[in-house]
Amino acid sequence: MPITKLDQMIEHLKSRPAKRVVAAYANDSHTIGALAGAMDAGIVEATLVGDQDVIARVCQQESIDVSRFTIVHEPNEMAAVYKAVELINTGAGQIIMKGLCSTDKYMKGLLDKEKGLMDPGAILSHVTVIENPRYHKLIICGDVAVLPAPELKEKIAIVNYMIAVAKALGIETPKVAIIAATEQVSFKMQACVDAAIISKMAERGQIKGALVDGPQAVDVAVDRESAETKGVKNPVAGDADCLLFPDIEAGNVFYKTNTKLAGCELAAMVVGARCPAILSSRGDSTKTKLYSIALAALTAK
Amino acid sequence: MQPIRKLDDLVSHVRTLGRRFRVAVACGQDPNTVGAVARAVELGFAAVVLLGDATRIAATCAAEGVAAGRFEIVDIPDEKAATREAVRLVRGGEADVLMKGLVGTDAFLRAVMDRERGLLAPGAVMSYVCAIEVPRYPRLLFVTDPAVLPFPDTAQKLAMVRYAVAMAHRFGIDCPRVALVSAVEKPSEHFPSHADYAVVCKAAERGQLGACTVDGPLDVFLACDPASVEIKGVPTPIGGQADVLVFPTIEACNAFYKGLMLFAGGELGGIIQGTTRPVVVMSRSESARSKLYCIALACLMA
Repeated sequence: MPITKLDQMIEHLKSRPAKRVVAAYANDSHTIGALAGAMDAGIVEATLVGDQDVIARVCQQESIDVSRFTIVHEPNEMAAVYKAVELINTGAGQIIMKGLCSTDKYMKGLLDKEKGLMDPGAILSHVTVIENPRYHKLIICGDVAVLPAPELKEKIAIVNYMIAVAKALGIETPKVAIIAATEQVSFKMQACVDAAIISKMAERGQIKGALVDGPQAVDVAVDRESAETKGVKNPVAGDADCLLFPDIEAGNVFYKTNTKLAGCELAAMVVGARCPAILSSRGDSTKTKLYSIALAALTAK
Repeated sequence: MQPIRKLDDLVSHVRTLGRRFRVAVACGQDPNTVGAVARAVELGFAAVVLLGDATRIAATCAAEGVAAGRFEIVDIPDEKAATREAVRLVRGGEADVLMKGLVGTDAFLRAVMDRERGLLAPGAVMSYVCAIEVPRYPRLLFVTDPAVLPFPDTAQKLAMVRYAVAMAHRFGIDCPRVALVSAVEKPSEHFPSHADYAVVCKAAERGQLGACTVDGPLDVFLACDPASVEIKGVPTPIGGQADVLVFPTIEACNAFYKGLMLFAGGELGGIIQGTTRPVVVMSRSESARSKLYCIALACLMA
């Protein structure tokens, strides 16, 4: 049965051996609290890389038993990121998570050519899973946070990442809609051109394991009635699992509209590295932090 | 109507339309042109106006054994003036089809494309489509563009498909199968045509190109040979039964059609599309039959 609510990820993970999260520069209550919550839920184990004295103090303040964690002492911010990356590369963890380090330093560590987490030619991107009560299943979308203006090759990579996430959520043949402002094909809009190419590639088996169609406007992708009214007859229209946005602005506006104006919860992670990478921000809800860890755990090898 | 599957059937069909289409021939004074239009007049589907040097026209008719009295002759010895007048007749509705005689193709097309006095609407894409019959293929192949657009861009490819589809409809093929030809069937960024092809396919799927089934990139085997489709296992709605072949460049298309003429016993009828009325430009090396087919095709599309 495919997962249709974010909560179901937690249930799903409880029956599996727990993956280990390595948190880079985990010197703050947000990171430690989120991990403690995830451990309470029984879905992961955690290694904290950071200043052991600071970590001990934060745990005390938050009434968290510090002995639940494996602590790797590294008081320097950048060195802590590299240490976390190294632990992943040596197999001491399956998920990496950003702590108090800056996003720049975290990304620098992931992307480092020699010591980082990228295979040659791999494309770093971001996948978000949204639970919207008005839709009958989860919405997987990308890229709302990392790639500003993906070109064709990157869009194909994002589609493949979304397909992998959909499969991890138990969706056998995910339906991928390539989003544009219209479902009519105008070659003057790059979003339409790329959508047409990606659809054709999927048709020819160059993108595997999914049904892909685009361009589709969002209404056509997620609303059967709109799809019918507009005469788009294919299995993706009105029933999409995954939405590929043409650029970061479109994707970003979509997910923030969902969370802030429609009250949705979400899970999100950076993809394309050797392991899922969690990048939750301090502004995220407790649930979103937990769900993001769960999503990473579900997709981790 | 029953689909027209042979070019001879095209001629019979045009004859059953029960009218003589008026063909204005610019500089219609060479044996090549006179012979072709004489046959169309004889078969009863064309009425021909020859504009050119009347003395030369008379001499050519005499040499070819064609009665000059079967044509309307307008004496304009100057090549440019004769061409302009022929275009004017068509533009004004006094003739249905424009045809090139003994005038350079460049000068002829310049008159056709003239902004004020020509036959091209602003922004219209001019392209060439020919219907080819080869003994080894069970249907006519509408092939584009072997002659006018060297490296068609996206808009031009969309226009080419529209023209070829419109032509196939006139032949009674209600939902023609359009193959967008390449060397391979898997879209790749290394082929500049593939992005255009993907756009054309999706536009067709969204109903933007009228009644037709489009797929591409496909190689010629997958487009025209059901056995290859089976062997390669490519699920394509064309199924090796293409009616229309759209080529990425003029070189590819030109080589394809000339190969069929030379090695496969092909015959063709071809016209310029995108103009307000059909325009016939034939090469002197076409067979007499193909020349007749060109005129018949223009009349069908008029």
